[in-house]
Amino acid sequence: MPKVLIVDDSSFMRMAIKSVLEKNGYEIVGEAENGVMGVHMYKELKPDIVTMDITMPVMTGIDAVKSIMKYDPNAKIVMLSAMGQEDMVMESILAGAKTFIVKPLKYDYLLDIIKKLI
Amino acid sequence: MSDNYINEPMLEIYLFETTSNIQNLESLVLRSETNSSFTQDSINEIFRILHTIKGSSSMMLYDGISSVAHSIEDLFYYIREKKDVNFEFDVLSELIFNFIDFAKVEIEKIKCGDLVDGDSTHLINDVKDFLNQLIQLNPSKEEVIIPTSNTKQQYYIQQGNKDSTSQEMINTPMNYYKTVITFEDGCEMENIRAYTIVHNLNDITQELFHFPQELFDNEESVTTIRERGFILYIKTDKHYEEMYEIVNKSMFLKELEFTQLEEESEFEWGRGCKTLETPEIKIPEIDNRVEAVVERDTGSVQSIISVNVTKLDKLMDLVGEMVIAEAMVTQNPDLKGLELENFQKASRQLRKITSELQDTVMSIRMIPMANTFNKMQRVVRDMSKKLCKEIKLEILGEETEVDKNIIEHISDPIMHLVRNAIDHGIESSEERVLSNKPKKGTVTLEAKNVGSDVLVMIKDDGRGLNKNKILQKARDHGLIWKKEDEMTDKEIYNLIFLPGFSTKEGVSEYSGRGVGMDVVLKNIDEVGGSASIESIEGVGSTITLKIPLTLAIIEGMNIKVGNARYTLPTTAIKQSFRPKESEIIIDPNGNEMIMVRGQCYPILRLHSHFGVNTKINNLSEGILIMIDQDERSICIFADGLIGHQQVVVKSLPNYIRKTNNVQGLAGCTLLGDGSISLILDIGGLINAS
Repeated sequence: MPKVLIVDDSSFMRMAIKSVLEKNGYEIVGEAENGVMGVHMYKELKPDIVTMDITMPVMTGIDAVKSIMKYDPNAKIVMLSAMGQEDMVMESILAGAKTFIVKPLKYDYLLDIIKKLI
Repeated sequence: MSDNYINEPMLEIYLFETTSNIQNLESLVLRSETNSSFTQDSINEIFRILHTIKGSSSMMLYDGISSVAHSIEDLFYYIREKKDVNFEFDVLSELIFNFIDFAKVEIEKIKCGDLVDGDSTHLINDVKDFLNQLIQLNPSKEEVIIPTSNTKQQYYIQQGNKDSTSQEMINTPMNYYKTVITFEDGCEMENIRAYTIVHNLNDITQELFHFPQELFDNEESVTTIRERGFILYIKTDKHYEEMYEIVNKSMFLKELEFTQLEEESEFEWGRGCKTLETPEIKIPEIDNRVEAVVERDTGSVQSIISVNVTKLDKLMDLVGEMVIAEAMVTQNPDLKGLELENFQKASRQLRKITSELQDTVMSIRMIPMANTFNKMQRVVRDMSKKLCKEIKLEILGEETEVDKNIIEHISDPIMHLVRNAIDHGIESSEERVLSNKPKKGTVTLEAKNVGSDVLVMIKDDGRGLNKNKILQKARDHGLIWKKEDEMTDKEIYNLIFLPGFSTKEGVSEYSGRGVGMDVVLKNIDEVGGSASIESIEGVGSTITLKIPLTLAIIEGMNIKVGNARYTLPTTAIKQSFRPKESEIIIDPNGNEMIMVRGQCYPILRLHSHFGVNTKINNLSEGILIMIDQDERSICIFADGLIGHQQVVVKSLPNYIRKTNNVQGLAGCTLLGDGSISLILDIGGLINAS
């Protein structure tokens, strides 16, 4: 079962993503609520995929991507952004995120992306 | 979004998270109100909260909430970026409070399963008007652009670093490809997706160019890509299958046209269609958008987790059953008369552990009063504004913990009492100044532990209660149950708790209808608590609520009447004794009374009250137990005492509660020998006598 790490400051979003992914055969190995915990958990749990929210307290998604990519250049990170965050999405892609999905989240897109990334 | 994916747990978490966000938002704004301004940190935090509410609400399809949150989020984005905007704090805080109230109403609808149909247009227009006003009042050279898909940003794409590889490349045969990529409908930000593809291909291509060339004028390029696809011309040494595979891996592909060009000339032709030079990039520094660090959440290990309340209830039940089972083992009738020293030692140990387990589980359900008390801040603020009185809310002992179940029952009564204090108690500023009181009235909420109860005091320094007015009103309603001159001050004041009582002349939005106080009392009663009031005219009043720490387990004294068993909370027992015939008095109405230390107490025979057969009918052969609640005492008559035990309270089953004959019963429990004991309700018994 492919392992996924969810990084998002909203417990609602984490649950939403977790429920979809678990129903479709993915194992959620961890949930982090800010960038710092996200990086820490990535190193500990070594997931196959990470879903990463862009705006979070303490450490943003972008910085977390940079940190994780430094640790593991093969990391597969999917950014979650809101409309109007073009520049932040750009930064994340340049920092090494594989792709992004725009909120409100279309579950089919999320599943497609993750299937393709694995 | 497919509805299959919205489920019960998601709704629960959405409600939990959103309610908590709304509360935080409210506290933040209330705190900022004391300074009439927002700090940079508050602005950032408010922005983040609104952003989260907007996101999750739109996912759950609650567009009303989402759209208002969005509009205020834009407003705060402006304020955050502009940094020194002049605005009227009061108007802005009103807007936010209006949103908070709107959201609270919608959330209630969600909880009840009603249609979530609140009209948000009015609110949104107000917010937009406010923002427009701000923009007009704060003109400046730099425009603060609120990010929408219309934002224009300048970006430049960096062409891959080809120079290093060009030497080796010179002799390798090149392939030329043209690809047209169509993205999935509705995947948004197609220009950035297109850029992502370019970015990924850079390292493995000698050269590439694309149409549209400008990817960052946002609106135009997005439209072009949606209409005509994203066109790429690629020069690389990779073979067809390989390149196709790589490009096909891109996300959100709806259609992919991938053709190999026969000749270099076609590639050049493609290039020639638009001008080429793309200068080196610099992505502008984006640091302002990064959220301000919120100090309290340092990302360190969580020392708090949220637990589903149903699980907690189940745990409580199990622990309760365990206590009973433990008693059934250690007090088993089979063991009667046996000498079992080792067994006794072991059972004492078991008792100790069970007791500790019980205490720990209880403490899990305990919540500090702080939450409830803090909710009153908003009430005080709104009422003082509406009634034009200056009022300060003081909170003491908010760390005092109370069982979760109980807190839910006393929240409303406390709110009503606070409202009363503000409405009836605190005088207008002029009146106060005339009576040499400070202009600002103070309402104090205090909670403290006393024995196995928690006392919650709602105190005000207002005008206090007027005995005469109360007596008059009570007379009018025929509520007096004792000779007036024999009533203590306390008894007079406590008259206000009776149904139908209100000395307020007019009915206001908040009080005066006479349905408040007795409802308060009823709620408090339901959790096994009591209320009393003290007052000094002209100085102020204090209402004291006494509530048990927890409903579930009490220290009980087991008594027997015939074959029936009853349990009394030991806290209510003043004394017990065998009466002498000579101490019994019969009053003119034929009621039995007993003289104890010069005082007369009514006697309530349990066997007649509950209709139980017993051989012990003579008062001097049984036992009298003096119980009291709120300064009223009676003596109940039973056959004898069985013993003292910690008892797990179970509520009476519905079919029993529905019959009228349950006055005086508060629940039931299982005794150590397996028999059922009914738990006596002190208040009910006292009223019955």
